[in-house]
Amino acid sequence: MDTELCPGAEMGSELVIDPGSLVDASKRRFLHATGMLLAGMLVPKISAGQEPHPLAGSGHRVVVVVIGGVRRDETFSAEGLVNIPHLSADLLPQSLFFPHARNEGVTAHFNAISSILTGNWQRVDDWGKLAPTTPTLFEQFRKGLRAERSDTWVVASNKALTSLIGASSDTNYGPTYGANVVFPKQLMLQAVVDALRTGRTANMADRSKVEAELENAMEGSNYEGLGWNVFDASNQLDPRVRATIQTAIANFVRSGGPTSGDELTFFMSREIMRKFAPQVLVVAFSDVEAAHFGSYSLHKAGIQTADRLTHQLWQEIQSNPDYRSKTTMVVLPEFGRDPDGSSTNGFFNHRANVDSTRDTWMLALGSAVDRPKVIERPIRHIDLCPTLGSLLGCPALEAQGQKIAELRG
Amino acid sequence: MRAESKVSGDLQDALSKGLLKRIPLTFQPFVNQQLNQWDNLFPNERRSTERLLLFVASLSLEQSTELFRSVVEIEEKMGVRHWQFSTSEQTIQNSSQLASSPYFQDWRRAVQSVFDAADAYASKLNGNAVQSERRLVLLHIPHNLPLDRTTVWRRWPETRRTVDLDLSPIGPSQDALGLLLMGSPPDAPTRLRGLLQIARDMAGTSHADTWVVDAGRSLVDALVEHAPSPESERRAIFLSNGRLDLYRQNFSHEMNSMRKDLADADAVFDRLRKVDVSPWCPPEVNADPAIREFVRSLYLTGNGAVIFGNSFVQWASSEGFRRARPRFLAAQFGVRSKPKPFTGVAVFDNPDQINPLPAVDDLPGSATDAQMLALYVWLAANRYEEYQHSTVCICVAESVSQACVVAPPEFSLGDEAKPISLARLGSALESWIA
Repeated sequence: MDTELCPGAEMGSELVIDPGSLVDASKRRFLHATGMLLAGMLVPKISAGQEPHPLAGSGHRVVVVVIGGVRRDETFSAEGLVNIPHLSADLLPQSLFFPHARNEGVTAHFNAISSILTGNWQRVDDWGKLAPTTPTLFEQFRKGLRAERSDTWVVASNKALTSLIGASSDTNYGPTYGANVVFPKQLMLQAVVDALRTGRTANMADRSKVEAELENAMEGSNYEGLGWNVFDASNQLDPRVRATIQTAIANFVRSGGPTSGDELTFFMSREIMRKFAPQVLVVAFSDVEAAHFGSYSLHKAGIQTADRLTHQLWQEIQSNPDYRSKTTMVVLPEFGRDPDGSSTNGFFNHRANVDSTRDTWMLALGSAVDRPKVIERPIRHIDLCPTLGSLLGCPALEAQGQKIAELRG
Repeated sequence: MRAESKVSGDLQDALSKGLLKRIPLTFQPFVNQQLNQWDNLFPNERRSTERLLLFVASLSLEQSTELFRSVVEIEEKMGVRHWQFSTSEQTIQNSSQLASSPYFQDWRRAVQSVFDAADAYASKLNGNAVQSERRLVLLHIPHNLPLDRTTVWRRWPETRRTVDLDLSPIGPSQDALGLLLMGSPPDAPTRLRGLLQIARDMAGTSHADTWVVDAGRSLVDALVEHAPSPESERRAIFLSNGRLDLYRQNFSHEMNSMRKDLADADAVFDRLRKVDVSPWCPPEVNADPAIREFVRSLYLTGNGAVIFGNSFVQWASSEGFRRARPRFLAAQFGVRSKPKPFTGVAVFDNPDQINPLPAVDDLPGSATDAQMLALYVWLAANRYEEYQHSTVCICVAESVSQACVVAPPEFSLGDEAKPISLARLGSALESWIA
C-alpha cells in the first residue's frame, strides 16, 4: 500500500544504497586521474596587490559557490564527469576534494543554504519566511571583526531564497550585521512581468531592448519588490550598487551568450567582486532546478552552466588583484537529488532520506589549500561555516559544525 | 461525513461506531480527504482506503492503540497538536510542518509500518489474485526524437531484452503506437485487432484499467475519432496534453498569481481545488468526475505536468499506476520547445505569450527527456506488487528501430535473430493481454 499521507514517502530499504555513489572501479579511475593531474599544479602564491580598504580579520577572502541540487550520478561519477569538464579537469587538480559532503538536515533550499552559512542545521520555514535561528557567517564576520556591510554579499538565482538568508534572528546579531542580498534572476522575472503588463513583450525578444527592460525592472518600482536587501536601503538603491548592476546587465545582454538566470547571477557576482571586492561572497546558482519540471536535458544543461560559470568565477579570482592569492573558493551542491525509481519521482525532487539526496561533494581551492588532495573522510555541510569563520579570523562560536582541519589559512 | 452513505456497508458501520476517533492526528487529513472525495476515487483507491480502515476496525481498542503507538508518540514529540494542522485535508502547510520536524523520518517509518500491517492483513484475506493478472505497459518515443542506439537503454534493468524492429512498412504519416492501439486497416497483410479493444475487453476490467497518455494530441485525437461509440470511449482513460491546453493554461495562470508564502500557496491551491474545471475539459475528461479530478490533482502536484508534455506523460502515468493500478497503459512522448532567450526563466508562463519569437523545437533535448522519463514510467509501475510478476513493459524507440522489453520469461518476444515487424510485435502484445 502506498503511504500517500507521507510527503515524499520513500519505500523500500534498498533505496538507502545510493546508486549514484562512486563504484569501486570508477572511484579508482577518478582518483588515478586526480593523482595524474596533481603534479606541478599547486596554486601559485602571489603577493597581495593594493587593497581598496583595510581588510578585516586575517585578510582572507572567501567565495562560496552553491549549486542547487545535483546527484553524484550527473557530476562526480564516471558517467557524470562529461557534465562538469571544468570542475573535474580544471579545478579538481588544484583542489582539496571531499567526495562525501553530507547534508544531514532539511534538504530544501532555504534550510540547506542557511545550514551551510550558519554551521547549524536549520529547520525554519522552507519558503524563507523565517531567518536562520543562529548567526550566519556574515554576522559572525561583521560583528566579530567590525567589517563593513559591503564586505558581505549573497548573489543568488534561487527563487526559494529571500533576503532573510543574509542574517539570523539571533538578537545578539541579526540584520544589523547581515549581508547584502541580491537576486538577479528576480530582475529578469520582474522585467517579464512588466513587459506583459504594459504590452511590451516584443522587447523581450529583442536583445537591443532587453537591457532597457531589465534596467526598468530595477528602477521602475520599489526595488524591494525584487526581494533584495542592499545596504538597508528602503526604497532606492545605493548609487554604487545601481551602477554595478547596470554594468552587469549590460555585460550580460551584450555578451551575446546564453541568457539563463545563472548567467546573470554570474555577471552580477563578477561585477560586485570588481566594484566592492567583498571578503565574503556567496553565489548560489540554480539553473539545475529545471529538474523540478521534469526536463532531464535542461537539468544537465544547468549542471554544465554551473560548471562553466564556477570556473569563470575562479578565473576572475585569479585575475582580480583584490582576490588573487588571498582567496579560498569552495564549491558544493545544496544536496543531491532523489534516486531513479524513488516514490518522490527521482531527479525531479530532493526529499528522499537516502544517500543520493544527502551525500554530495565539496571542492575547496585557493589560499587555504596547502596541496591538492582527495579527503575520503565524510564532512558535513555545517562544518563549512566554522572553517570559513576561522580562515577569516572570526572569533569561534559554539556550533554543531566543526572546523575542517585540512583547510587552513 | 458526506461520503459515509456511499462506502461499503462494513465501512459505513465502522465509521458510525466512531472508527475515526482511533486514527492518529497525522492520519486524519488523508483519511478524511479520501472519504470526502469518495466519488472521485478510482476503484483501486477505494479498496485501498477501505482496507486500511477495516483493518483498524477489526482490531480491539488495545490492539489499535498498539498499532498506532509509535505514530502517536512521534506526534507528541513533534508537537503536532500545537501546529496549525488541517485534519480535514492534506495541505502544503501540513507537509511543510511535518517535513521540517527533526522527527520527520521517524514519523515516515512509523506510518509505513502501519500501512505494511494493513497490507499483510489484506493479503491474508485476499491471497495473491492481483499479482497473477497479466498487464502491459507500452511506451513510445516517436521517430523525430534522435536517440543513440548504444546508450538508449543503459539505465534500464539488466534483465531487459532488446528487439530490433523493421518499421520500414510504416508510412511517414503513420504512427507506430496508433497502429498498435487501433489495429491495422482491413486490407493489411497481417491483421491486428488493436490493443485498445483487447484491453477494454479483458474480463473484469473497469474504465480505470485502460489508459492512454499522449504528450501531444494527435494520438488521442485519432482514438477519439475512431472510437466505435461514445460508450467505448468511456471504457478507457484518454489523457492528451494537447487537448488539455485550456485546462493547463488556466491552472498555470492561477499558479503564477501565487505569492511566495505558505498561506497564499494554500489559498491558491484551495481555490484551484474548488474551481469548476468543466469548461476547460475536453469531452473525454469531462465525462468522468474521477478523471476530471485526477487531472486537477496532477496539475496541483506539479512535477512539470503543467509545463512540459513529456513531464505530463510521466507524471500522469506514475500517478495512474499509484492510484488506479491499470492493467494496460500506453504512453507516447513528444517534443518540447527550446527555452526562449531571456524569458526562459519564466517557465510558469506561456512562453509564446511573453516572448513573440517563434518557438523552436528542441529535438535532442526532448529525446533526452523522453529517454529518462520512459524509464521513470516503468520504475513507477514497478514500485507496486501488481506489476512485479506478470507485467510486460515495452518501450519502442522509433528513431533507432528498437524496442526494450522487460518481461517475464514466458513472454514470446526477446531473442529474435532478425528485426521483427510491427505486426509481429503487435501480435505478441495482443497475445499477452488477450
